[in-house]
Amino acid sequence: MTDAYAIETEGLTKVFRTRFPAREFKAVDAISLRVPRGTTFGLLGPNGAGKTTFVKMLLSATHPSAGRAKLFGQDCRVPEARRPIGYLPENHRFPTYMTGANMLDFYGALSGLESTARRRRIPELLALVGLEKWGGTRLGKYSKGMLQRVGLAQAMMHSPDLLILDEPSDGVDPIGRREIRDILQALEQKGVTIFLNSHLLVEVELFCREVAIIQNGRVALEGTVKELTAGSGYRVEAEGVPEALQTELRATARSVAARDGALQFLFAGRGEANRAIDLLRSQQIEVESVQRATSTLEEVFVRTINAK
Amino acid sequence: MPSNLLTATIALVADTFREALARKIFWGFLLCSTAFILFFIFIMKIDVVAGALATVTIFGRTNDTQEIGQLVKNVQRGLGGFLYTVGMFLAVFASAGLISAVFEPGRIELLLSKPVARVHILLGRYLGNLLVIAINLFYLVVGVWLVFGIKVGIWGIGFLWSAVVTLFVFSVLLTIILLIGVIWESTAVTVLGTFGIMILSGVLSTHTQLIKLLSSETSRNVVRTLYYIFPKTVDIGKIAGELSAGGGVGDWMPIWTTALFGLTMLSLSIYIFARRNF
Repeated sequence: MTDAYAIETEGLTKVFRTRFPAREFKAVDAISLRVPRGTTFGLLGPNGAGKTTFVKMLLSATHPSAGRAKLFGQDCRVPEARRPIGYLPENHRFPTYMTGANMLDFYGALSGLESTARRRRIPELLALVGLEKWGGTRLGKYSKGMLQRVGLAQAMMHSPDLLILDEPSDGVDPIGRREIRDILQALEQKGVTIFLNSHLLVEVELFCREVAIIQNGRVALEGTVKELTAGSGYRVEAEGVPEALQTELRATARSVAARDGALQFLFAGRGEANRAIDLLRSQQIEVESVQRATSTLEEVFVRTINAK
Repeated sequence: MPSNLLTATIALVADTFREALARKIFWGFLLCSTAFILFFIFIMKIDVVAGALATVTIFGRTNDTQEIGQLVKNVQRGLGGFLYTVGMFLAVFASAGLISAVFEPGRIELLLSKPVARVHILLGRYLGNLLVIAINLFYLVVGVWLVFGIKVGIWGIGFLWSAVVTLFVFSVLLTIILLIGVIWESTAVTVLGTFGIMILSGVLSTHTQLIKLLSSETSRNVVRTLYYIFPKTVDIGKIAGELSAGGGVGDWMPIWTTALFGLTMLSLSIYIFARRNF
């Protein structure tokens, strides 16, 4: 294990046991994952897949039953290993007696930030998340979206090198989501590693460079978003294709779909696609478009989960 | 202490204070203490009749002339007894919520994600809670002590020592609150458990009478053992009373065995908290 990785786990396993009745439940099953420094990584999985348990083990809130985890090369069980980390939990319960500014001050102090640095960072961060006028208001008065924003500010207080965000856009309106994405993108530009645990696949697809899909506590699929969403084949779209030619093209196409009066032929390879274009052009048929086929992350996710 | 640790400790203690203020616990105690002090300043009038003799007037009703030193001792002893019993119950009740709140899901994970050891988080909360009670206790005791000192010129420090003893017993009870809170995370269970141990400790203080009623030697040994294990709140209460009245500590055994109990509870709390999954 080296510090070239922000997060590195080897065979990380968590088994929950109850005594009465005697039961065992493997929430995380030997996950080995490497998140390089400076990347944006999305952890996906259906409810109960073990995502949150995995994150809690990284933060030492839950102790692994087997395996190990390192943060920037340091054993995650050592408190000092958590210094370069900012964390926003999913179902957070920020103390409602605190104001937004109090909260940032408290968690900033726990992260080791001196009081002068805290005094400087608090207004900066409140402005960054759009809560500059709410710093003196108790958190009990905040809306869900505002709590997410101040929670994000809290995670960023000590300028961490790794942000672990569990459903950061939960309860945030589309404009707010966009703003959060912009903030995270700016951090990414500065080299901050961002580890996102989210159900919003579109958001993960838009933001993350790498993803891992976990199911039943195991990594079911892992790779870059580009690799995973890259489909195989080519889509050729044409209008007014005569019946006879349609039948001929269908014979070599993987699938055909009608869209707005046009036909979309999906061919497995470049050769089949070029032959189809030649046939269409030989009959003076206009080709509307030729595209490399891709999948959305959602399609990849559903395929992966259904395959298991 | 490294500056990071100091910063974190101050933050944890300050957070406990902030929560106590928000829950009105601090203000409630402060208000009661101020009412007591004002009572002794304005309502209770002590008139020195002749030399060491004085009369006490409360709401216009004057008591018989008493020896002034004895009078002050009696009042201070009464107040000490009140703090040791009613005040202690109130402090336990208020602290149970302060401790168990830390373990709420969604709050504890965030605390644990910070570069602070679990033992530090637990001790920070313990210290903060102890300070909330200590400030209130000493505000009242020192306030009353000053009132009597200024009014009649009696400055005996026994009363102040009784407050130290009261705080010591509370610090031990707080370790029980901590242990139950770490295990069950419930304010109600914490209150019931701690009150249960306080009551059991009261029953065990009568162990000399109790063992006379028991027929088997095994049962008598069990009672004796339990008496030595559990905190001796009643015995230490008597010591606090003696100190208030200007006496000294006759027997240190109740104090050191109770301290040992507290240290054991604290160690167990730290051990269990370090191993828990959240």
